[in-house]
Amino acid sequence: MPSATLTPAPTRELTVCLVGMPNAGKTTLMNAITGGNFKTANYAGVTVSLLRGRSRPEFGPVLQVTDLPGVHSNVNPSPEEAIACEVIEGRNPKVVADAFILVVDATQLERHLKFSGLVARQSKPLVIALTMTDLLPRAGLQVDVSKLQAALGLPVVAVDARTGEGVERLLDRVRTAGSQKSPLAELPSDPILAFGGVRRLLQSSGAVQRVAGSGPDPVTARIDRIVLDRWLAFPIFFAVLVGLFASIFWLAQPFMDFVDGSFVQLADLLKGISPDSLVVRFLADGIVAGLGAVAVFFPQILILFLLMSLLEDSGYLARGAAIVDRPLAALGLHGRSFVPMLSGFACAIPAVFAARSIPAKRERLLTIWILPLMSCSARLPVYGLLLTALIPGDAWKKGLAMGAIYVGSLLVGSITAGLASRILSKHRNPSILAMELPAYRKPRWKPIVRATWARGSSYLQRAAVPIIAVSAVLWVLSSFGPSGTLGIVETPMDQSFAARIGHTLEPALEPMGADWRVGVGLISAFAAREIFVSSMAIVFHVEGDDEETQQAGLLAAMRDATFADTGLPIFTTASIVGLVVFFFFSLQCFSTVAVVRKELGSTKLAALQLAFYTGLGYVLSVATVQGLRAIGIS
Amino acid sequence: MRMVFSCDHMNNTVATKRLSDAELNRPYVIETLDGPDVDCRRLLDLGFTPGEEVTIRTRTPLGDPLVVYLRGVLLALRRREASWILVH
Repeated sequence: MPSATLTPAPTRELTVCLVGMPNAGKTTLMNAITGGNFKTANYAGVTVSLLRGRSRPEFGPVLQVTDLPGVHSNVNPSPEEAIACEVIEGRNPKVVADAFILVVDATQLERHLKFSGLVARQSKPLVIALTMTDLLPRAGLQVDVSKLQAALGLPVVAVDARTGEGVERLLDRVRTAGSQKSPLAELPSDPILAFGGVRRLLQSSGAVQRVAGSGPDPVTARIDRIVLDRWLAFPIFFAVLVGLFASIFWLAQPFMDFVDGSFVQLADLLKGISPDSLVVRFLADGIVAGLGAVAVFFPQILILFLLMSLLEDSGYLARGAAIVDRPLAALGLHGRSFVPMLSGFACAIPAVFAARSIPAKRERLLTIWILPLMSCSARLPVYGLLLTALIPGDAWKKGLAMGAIYVGSLLVGSITAGLASRILSKHRNPSILAMELPAYRKPRWKPIVRATWARGSSYLQRAAVPIIAVSAVLWVLSSFGPSGTLGIVETPMDQSFAARIGHTLEPALEPMGADWRVGVGLISAFAAREIFVSSMAIVFHVEGDDEETQQAGLLAAMRDATFADTGLPIFTTASIVGLVVFFFFSLQCFSTVAVVRKELGSTKLAALQLAFYTGLGYVLSVATVQGLRAIGIS
Repeated sequence: MRMVFSCDHMNNTVATKRLSDAELNRPYVIETLDGPDVDCRRLLDLGFTPGEEVTIRTRTPLGDPLVVYLRGVLLALRRREASWILVH
């Protein structure tokens, strides 16, 4: 018999927000509370995404947890800081906190508690999570949690988010916490007075004892002496970069081959079911192939995220950013820009996300602006094909040319940033660096692997939709053609809409030394650059069972290809170099455009970026081809 | 706009210098901040308050930024930012 007393009333899950300064260990705590099951949630109009998740059931009644971005200061805030302050002050309609967990680095109580004033004034239940307690001996400090609790008038729970210790207790306290009256709420907003207030509070409580000499902890000091050494700093930095690169390319290669092969097999399997069905072919050649184009980069992106998290957690990333800040600042960028720039050599999409770590708006915008120039790995197969056609034989010459393209992309990116920042400097409001260099810590694998997976799958979700959509449209364009007056029929590629577009574009392609078929390849490459290679194989009617024979066949077909009207060869030294130049500059990646639009919250800027680089690529490509011809290199 | 945040007990007997010109590994006491308003407010929020002790630990290999130690934390500070911090 149903009875109201037997079914518990559906209680609303409490929403708890994690707040604190950057580097307090919020995201690690988020990982521990949710078991890594969190989603990045975006909010319209802003570029900020918050991590949201639910607490693990073994910690008792489930709580909704939101990890707010770290806040240094609410003066001239970064977009992340602004949204965090909005939520804290209850001005954000989307996230309404029922309670706060203030995450406080035990080794830096003064700085972190000074920030707490803003949170404590909200008269909402507040619990302090004390992190980094394992670093206290190294810092020469002892913290008495019960004395601290008494002095602050708030529950204080020491947690080691990396082992999960204390997390259950922390959540228990959150559920039972009322709105206490804390002396922290009385802290003035003036920073000088607030710091003074916190110091007096801590001193009178006797919660903090210094047991060893002052100064940074000896382990950190020792590592910094090597890592920031005048002569060793750059060799170490470059060794780290080379290690990263090597991992992104070589370590990921077998996985990428596997993913690629799996999708080809899946497409074949589908076609095997019913080879004549249009729906099956659409699924196989349109959707599955499009998905494959995204998924093939997944291993690379996972490795990139994993290594970046390792570097970040160990404390090295901030040092790297400090070392290269001077040249980057001269270009109008930020020390932290080196992370997205580096990621850009794998794929511009995770790089655009990585730019979020740059606190200042202007520097972030400028970094995102130059990211499409970084030679992403989707260009590799294209350059591979073009350089093999240009320099047959000697592999080392090809390697050298490839190296030059990579270094060149970095140089051109730097020049572009430098020029753009000079133009922007009219309304120049340069931000300050003042970047914390956290204590070195041994990274823990479990939370890093979890976070990497969460970020990696969020990449897949974001990139998949635009890529699939573009692939589907391109498939339709290249499989169907006009017929009769208004009819549409399935046609071979060379009579398709894509071919029509290619033909229409021919007058524009001619100065580049290209014909309509190359034009079709260039258009299809907007889905993903590497599709250029496969669509060239289609337009030049190359059949081949595996990649090896297909590449050989394509190279042969390219050698023999001639313009229909003049009979002159299409792929000459000049036109191939022209194509390399085009791919170097052009923003042929609609997924990047889509992600930039979201990140910057501006369709105009994303469209401007697309037009700028693609236009620049075209103009420079034409200039190269015509210039080479003028000096006698056809 | 520039803003000056002064210390209550200004010590006029000791020579004041900018943190960007200060010696390595010697503790200095912050006297005032003298720079763009918004940036100085952020530096204050980071803990660069008058009366506080600050030490330059090292310069990065290219000479900029500096690595300073303040309130138990290491911070990379550009020379430009350090020049707004007057110390003795």
